[in-house]
Parts: sequence; C-alpha cells; structure tokens
Amino acid sequence: MFNIQDNEGIQTRNWNVLVFMAAVIILFTVLLIRLYSLQYTHYDENLQRSENNRLRRVELVAERGFIYDRNGEILVRNRPSYQIALQSMHLPRKKEARDTIFNRLLHIVDKDGVRLFDSLSLDTAFQRTKWIKNRPIRILEDASPEQVSIIEEHSSELPGVVTLIESRREYPYGTLASHVLGYTSEISEEQLKLPAFAEYSQGDRVGQKGLEQGYDTEFRGTNGMKLVEVNASGREVGQVKGVESRAPVPGLHLVSTIDLKLQEAAEAAIPDSVKGALVAIDPRNGEILAMVSSPRLDPNIFSLKKRERNRGWAQVALDSMRPLTNRAISGLYTPASVFKLATAGAGLESGILSESKYYPKPCTGGYQYGARYQKCWGVHGNLNVVHALRLSCDVFFYQAGLEIDMTRINEFARRFGYGEVPLGIDIPGEKGGWLPDSISFNQRNKRLGWRWARGLILNLSIGQGQLVTPLQQATFIGSLATNKGVYRPHFMKELRDRQGNVVRRYEPEIIRPGTMKPSTHRVLLAAMDSVVNHPGGTGKRGALPGIRVGAKTGSGEWKKGEKTHAWYAAVAPLYEPEIAVAVILEAAGGGGAKAAPIARKVMMAYFGIEEEEANKK
Amino acid sequence: MKPGRFLHRSLKVDWLFLGVTLALMVCGVSLVYSATANAETPVYESFWFKQIIYFLGGCLLATGIVFLKIDWLKRLSAPLYIVSLVLLCIVLSSVGDVTKGAGRWIDLGFFKLQPSEFAKIAYLLTISYWLSNHPVSLHKIKTFAVPFLLFIVPFALVLKQPDLSTALVFIAVTYVAFFFAGLTLTDMFLLASPVLSVLFSHSQALVFQVLWGLLICAVVFALVRRRLPKILTVLFLAMNILAGYASSMAWNMLEPHQQKRVNTFLDPMSDPLGDGYQVLQSLTAIGSGGLTGKGFGQGTQTNLAFLPEEHTDFIFSVLGEQFGFAGCFFILVLYGIFLWRASSTCKMFTDPFITLITMGACTIFLFHIIVNIAMTVGLMPVTGLPLPFLSYGGSFAMTCMVLVGGILCMRYQGNRQ
Repeated sequence: MFNIQDNEGIQTRNWNVLVFMAAVIILFTVLLIRLYSLQYTHYDENLQRSENNRLRRVELVAERGFIYDRNGEILVRNRPSYQIALQSMHLPRKKEARDTIFNRLLHIVDKDGVRLFDSLSLDTAFQRTKWIKNRPIRILEDASPEQVSIIEEHSSELPGVVTLIESRREYPYGTLASHVLGYTSEISEEQLKLPAFAEYSQGDRVGQKGLEQGYDTEFRGTNGMKLVEVNASGREVGQVKGVESRAPVPGLHLVSTIDLKLQEAAEAAIPDSVKGALVAIDPRNGEILAMVSSPRLDPNIFSLKKRERNRGWAQVALDSMRPLTNRAISGLYTPASVFKLATAGAGLESGILSESKYYPKPCTGGYQYGARYQKCWGVHGNLNVVHALRLSCDVFFYQAGLEIDMTRINEFARRFGYGEVPLGIDIPGEKGGWLPDSISFNQRNKRLGWRWARGLILNLSIGQGQLVTPLQQATFIGSLATNKGVYRPHFMKELRDRQGNVVRRYEPEIIRPGTMKPSTHRVLLAAMDSVVNHPGGTGKRGALPGIRVGAKTGSGEWKKGEKTHAWYAAVAPLYEPEIAVAVILEAAGGGGAKAAPIARKVMMAYFGIEEEEANKK
Repeated sequence: MKPGRFLHRSLKVDWLFLGVTLALMVCGVSLVYSATANAETPVYESFWFKQIIYFLGGCLLATGIVFLKIDWLKRLSAPLYIVSLVLLCIVLSSVGDVTKGAGRWIDLGFFKLQPSEFAKIAYLLTISYWLSNHPVSLHKIKTFAVPFLLFIVPFALVLKQPDLSTALVFIAVTYVAFFFAGLTLTDMFLLASPVLSVLFSHSQALVFQVLWGLLICAVVFALVRRRLPKILTVLFLAMNILAGYASSMAWNMLEPHQQKRVNTFLDPMSDPLGDGYQVLQSLTAIGSGGLTGKGFGQGTQTNLAFLPEEHTDFIFSVLGEQFGFAGCFFILVLYGIFLWRASSTCKMFTDPFITLITMGACTIFLFHIIVNIAMTVGLMPVTGLPLPFLSYGGSFAMTCMVLVGGILCMRYQGNRQ
C-alpha cells in the first residue's frame, strides 16, 4: 500500500478502513445490547431503585485515640457533639418550600425564648446548599441536647434538616499541660493543599500543636464506610442488605511520660500571671515528667461552637503575654549562670581548672579587662572552682573563660545538650539555641556591624549572650549529673490499641555523647551539691529533707533596668539522678530566690514529701 | 470568485462530518447544562457556559489547523514530539498541580495544560510521519525498532504519572497505526493474542479454559499460515503459553489485599463502597431512564447528586437517565456517522500519512467512547477517560477539536488523484 501509485495498496487500505468500521459497529452493538438490557429488561427494577431506595455512602469516622499520663490517668478524651445540618439533596427543590423551611428554622426558639439560628448565617447555609450537594452543611455546631431535642421534635416539618453526631476532643483538666497536649481543629484550606495532608479531606479534624499534632496519624485511625438507604426526606432507613460495611479502625491511645501528680504541682507553683516555663525530665531515658509554659490556654475552646471558639481564639491570639507559645521548647533565653557549669566543666576536662587552682586576681567586686571594668554581683575574695560555682562568682569565670577559650566551652556545652541543633522532641515547634563563637557571632551580627572581640568571652563564660531553651537547660543539668549520655527528650511512652495491647514503645535514644572524665564529674557534682546544701550557696532554697539535691541558679540579664530572668536548674537525688528540673520565670528577679522554691515543690511532689514535713526539718 | 471555484472549495469540506460534530457539541453542552445548572449560579461561572467557551476556542483552533499545509505538519512532528516529552517530564518532576494525588497538570494561569493530552497529538503526528515512510512487517523485525522507541518513551512517562487509561490510548493508537502501516489482520490477531491469553486463562472456569485452548489453536494456525521468521514464531507461542501460566502463577503470588485491589478494579461491583458506588448509581440512573427517558432536566438520580462526577466522566448516565435508550441510540449513531465520515476521508488520497493521521484520530475517539461508555454501563473498570464532546473539561475538548481540525485539514489540503 505504500507505493502511492500501487492500486493493490489502495485496495488493501480501503479494506482495512472497512475492517475498522466493522469493529466500530460490533463494539457499538455490544454497548447497545447492554443498554437495552439495563433500560428495557431491568427497567422496573432500576426505576424502583431510583424512586424508593436511595443509596447513600456514609463515612464512619474513626474515634480519635486518647492521651493518658504515665500512670493511666486520662488527660485527653472524646465527647459526643451534635451538629444540626442541612442535607442539600433532601431539601425541597421548589423555592417556596425551601423558604417555609427557612422560616420555620428561624422561628424555632429554646425555652428561654432565644432563637437557635440567626437569619444571616442560616441564609448563607441555604445559599451554600446550591453548590454543595453531596455533603451536609452545618447550621448549628456543637448543639446542646436541648437544642437537638427541639429540632428532632420538629423533624417531620423539616425535611433535609438532620442531626449528626461527631466526636470532639475534651480536656478534663482544662489548661493543664495545654502546650504539651495541643488541640484539634478543622483542617484548614492551606493544610489541605500540602502533600503531607493528602489523605485528609475537608471537614476532618486535625491535631494542631503539641502531641495532638505530633501523633495525629496515630490518633486518627482509619475511617470506615457504610452504604445506607435513605427515605425521601433524607433520613436513614437502614443499611443496604448484602453489602458489608467497612468498620472504622479507631486510633491508637497514647500513654505519655507526663506524671499527672507532678504536672499538677508544677502548674500550681507557677501562677498564670507570670511568664515562664518549667521542664521536669528523667535524665536516665529522656522521659519528660512535666512541662509547663505560662501563661496557658484552654484547649477546650477549640471544641466549642464557632462563635465561642472565635471569641476564645481572639483572646489568646491577641494576648500580649503570648499564651500560644510553648516557652518550654521554643522560648529562647540566655542561660545565665547555669552556663558556668559548662565553663567549669570545659576547664576541668582540659586540665586548665582544678580544685586547687586559684586565679591571681581575687574577686573584689569586679574585673578590669583592658579599658573595661566588668562587675561581679558581690565581693567574693579568692576562690577555687567549687566555691566559685557555689557563690556564682563572675570574676573567677571571667578569668577562667579567657584561659579556656570559647571553642572548648562550646564543645563541652554541645556535648551535654546545648547548641543550635534542636533535641528532637516529639512535639512540633522546638527551637534550637545558639552558642556564639567568633565566626557565628560575626555572621549573625553582620547587619548590625558588630564584630567579635575577646572581651565578649567575659560575658559568654558566665552565660550572658548564648540562647537556650528551658528544655535544653533541664537536659543539660540532668545529663551532667548522670554522665551517661544525653537521651532524646520525649513524651511518648507507649502507643496502645483499643484492647490495651502495646503497639509501639519509645526506645530511649542517645543523641549526644554526654560523658566526661570521672574527676570532672566528681568536682561538678560537689559544686552542684554545695550550691544547695552549703549554708552560703545561692540555691539553698531548693533543698529537700532526706534527698540530696544538686542545682545551679541563674539570673539572666535581658534589658537594662528590668528585673532579671530567674533561672534554676536542679537534679535529684544528686548521686543517683531520677529527675532534673529547669525553671525560668521571666523578669522575676534572682534565680535562687524566685525559681528555686518552684522546682522544690515539683521535686517534693516527685518524692512524695508533704509540705509540713519539709518545713519541720 | 467564480461559482465554480467556490463549489470546488466547498467540496473540499466534509459538511456531514462537520454537521455531526456540531450536533455532538450541542448535545454535550445541553447534557452538562442539565447535569449542573441551577438558577443561582451566575451564567459566566456555570459549567455549561465554560464548556461553550472551550468549544468556541476549540473551533477557532480547528479552523486554524485546516489551513496548515500537510508538509508543515510533517516537519513539525519531530519538534512537537520532543516538546511533549519535555512537558511530560516537567509534570513528573512534581512541578505540576497536585490535585487528588496525581500531578497531571501544568498551571499556565489562564489554562491548566495537561501534557498527556498534548502528547497524544504529538505522538500521533510523529508515529504517522515515521510509519508513512517506513512501513512495518513482521517478516522484518527491524522495522519495529524505531516505532517501538517512539512509543515507549511517552508511554512510560504517562504511565509513571500514574495515568493508566491515557497510557492505554497510546497502545491503541500504535496498534491501529501498525494495521494501516503494513500488518495484516492475521498479524493483528497475533499481536493481540497474548493479552487475550491472559484474559482467558485468568479464570479457572471450564468455558474460559476451552476458549483459551481454542485461542492457542488459532495462534498456531495463524503462525503456520503466515510463515514468520522462526524467532517470532517461537516468541508468539511462548508468549501465549507463558501469559496463560505466568498470569495465574503471578496471581497466586500476590497478597490477598493486592488480589482484592485488582478484583475491585476489574469488577467495581465487588466493592460497592468504593468505585462500585459510582457504577451502582450510574447503572440505576441509566436503567431508570427506560426506553424514552425521564425528560430533559428531570433526572432524579443525577439531579439529586447521587452521582459523583456526573458532568465529567459519568455524563453518559445523565444521557441514559434523561433520554433513555432512544437518546443513547441516537448519540451512538451520531458517533458512528462521525467515525465513518472521519475514516472515509483517507479513502480520497493515496498519501499514507493522511491515512495514518485520520485513522489514528479515529482510534483515539473510538477508544475514549468505548472505554467511557463501557465504564458507565458497568462493563469495564472505572478509569478516568472522558467521553468526546459530551464530558465537561477544557483540555480534552481542545484535544478533540484539534483532532477534528486535523481530519478536516487532511481533506482540505490533501492532493487529490
């Protein structure tokens, strides 16, 4: 056929076209036979099905997993929530009939005579039924049982108006650990577009912040589905026979590392009017026993109906105290004198410092460096490293810092949990700190034109100028005391299914080396001990009867003329550490005076010591 | 202009073909209107109005194409082919819009370009151009090398998207193109036989086993008659027998949940909660239409939104419900005339390029029509292939109009004997 002038080729070609058309006719005939069978042979059957048995696919939403504390107390659970909604496909199609329903709904009042619906939002919902046909449109969110019964009474006059049951989150302890738990809200348009949310659909409730976000996929479970028959007004008549429904797989329960008793003590110790944070951690495995960020928010507001939710949201979002931030993991503060432990540790590790080393210049209330005179907070005289830590003397550490140099100090600090790399806690929003050296300082302050100078070491060696989070602070002091490595801090202890079987367990993981020479360890422990238990120590208000506590206080300068940030980081029992606590109170004053008593209360709760008992001794 | 010249010109246009195309477009817009219209949506935002715009744009495009010289088309084929591959690669590298999981679009702002649609046309041009100069024959296996390469690259890229149904369009086009580029009916049977083998040997039922046996006999007979090279003879036999056994072996190796997924795909009714739901609703809608239908705009199933995607992939069930068997028959007759007029265009010319282009275009139309309607009446798996001229959608409307323009162009520009 390819020889153009070839007659035979053209004949073959025309024959082939005929074959093609024959195939078309055969295929079309098959389709027509099928159509005939559907539309003639099975006509009655199909007509009846379309008239009476209206099939509808109903999604069965899986129940969200609970959150427990480490002893099995429920921290987060679900409650039923009733939604009144319009089902577009069952609303009458005539405009007059729709208007009657609209007016009936508008005139429904509860027993106090208050209207359930306002005309504006009801009108919007009716408008939307014209676009959205396949899913219900909510007109009353989180309705009270009374409101539901009113609607149900009138159900025969209100075709297309249905009551749906949803499950919403409930936080029985209100603001307790609100930053750790997080909250849930309806998935936003922006989130839906992200590839990470490919499996979610509109209207899904999704975890925001905290554990709710961190373990959202585990909490969610898998939705099921059933095929139901509905009558003409959209009410469910029954399930379709012969079609198995796909049962939903409920989400997993999370057993957290939080200790409710400890958390309550910590929440009670920090008033909501103070900005601050507290982290209590088990340094042996990284389990977080309590975490407070103050001021708090009540996650229950996100489960309320829209108007109340918006009011609550506006309150927390516009608050100048920033209650939405979890200060414990994303608050960056200067570590203050707590950092002197790192300076001392680096000095001891490198052999520059030792218990018998004294610097030529005793503390006379300040230190002359070049043209600058750097003050100390008191007059301490001639000190060795243990005394200097106990009294938190700046002059000693000015000289030590200059001799040790920042490279060594920062290396030691990073080894025990400080630094730019976040610790990888299992809730979102954690920030890394900052340990400046000559390179990173110049880089960061390029725009301001500040240059690194050796004089800055004076400030840095006493912990003014770095940035750390309270979580890093607790991890640091804890791993310093154990000398067995830095464990990744985490909240997840176990994930369990509905039957209580453990599905996944958190394996403690060492993320930083966190070890030093035994001699260094011994000296640092002695210093931490004397901070609390020596009559002249700065942290003596943190002492506990019968339990040896080691600690370091700090007072972070942040703004001239303002009170300092009060820091206190403690660990107990000092020689067999079980709990490390870091407390910061913003602009509260000295660490030993303000922050130490709070950590003490938490530790008392941990060791089960009563208040009177403690005061007696 | 002399009347004689005008007459001469007008003979160069297939008026019946044009009329049928316009009739199909009118039907399409009416069906989209009846499936989606409501009084409150502003006209310029409604689906049917947008569809009219797409068709008008398509008509302009088609008119433009009619005036292209066939030589230009031949020369353009290679560059267009390369551009289409580049576009497919871009979409694969996840620059494309991610809607419903699969990235298949490139957003140009005013229009969402679907590179696989563009690739269909570019591929048709290229394979036609190549085959028109290099006929294939099973006696010379080498002749298949280049066409196979031309085919496999866009096919793999589209399959990777993943867009199985569009990938199958490429297979159909290639298959028919081979038929018009030198293969005989027997060859076509041999090429298709491994697929038939898989289908028949899949079931353990006696009827299918017997059918498979008959198929193997037919293959042997065909091989003997064709006297193909030894390698090919062995290859075809082996492929048929292997396809039979390997398919059941592979089937047994699959995990139960994988088997379930394949079953759901092949028989959507086995999963009434998933794909089967749509098919179930579609069958009810079509069946309840009866012989004459419920009347325009009176479809209870479609208008009550029981049917998802009624205006795109399941537009045929709107037709079936509102116009019944008569309506369906009418539309199928229109499609029949359309394909008949389109395919007979090539009979007027001797240039194999014209034959291949027209028949390729016919194949694309036929494949979409069959796969889509068979899906809505529950004869085939649920795939996302739209129905030409009836389904709502800009990209595919453009493709159809470009193909129509191409067919008209062949008739207008071709050299008559």
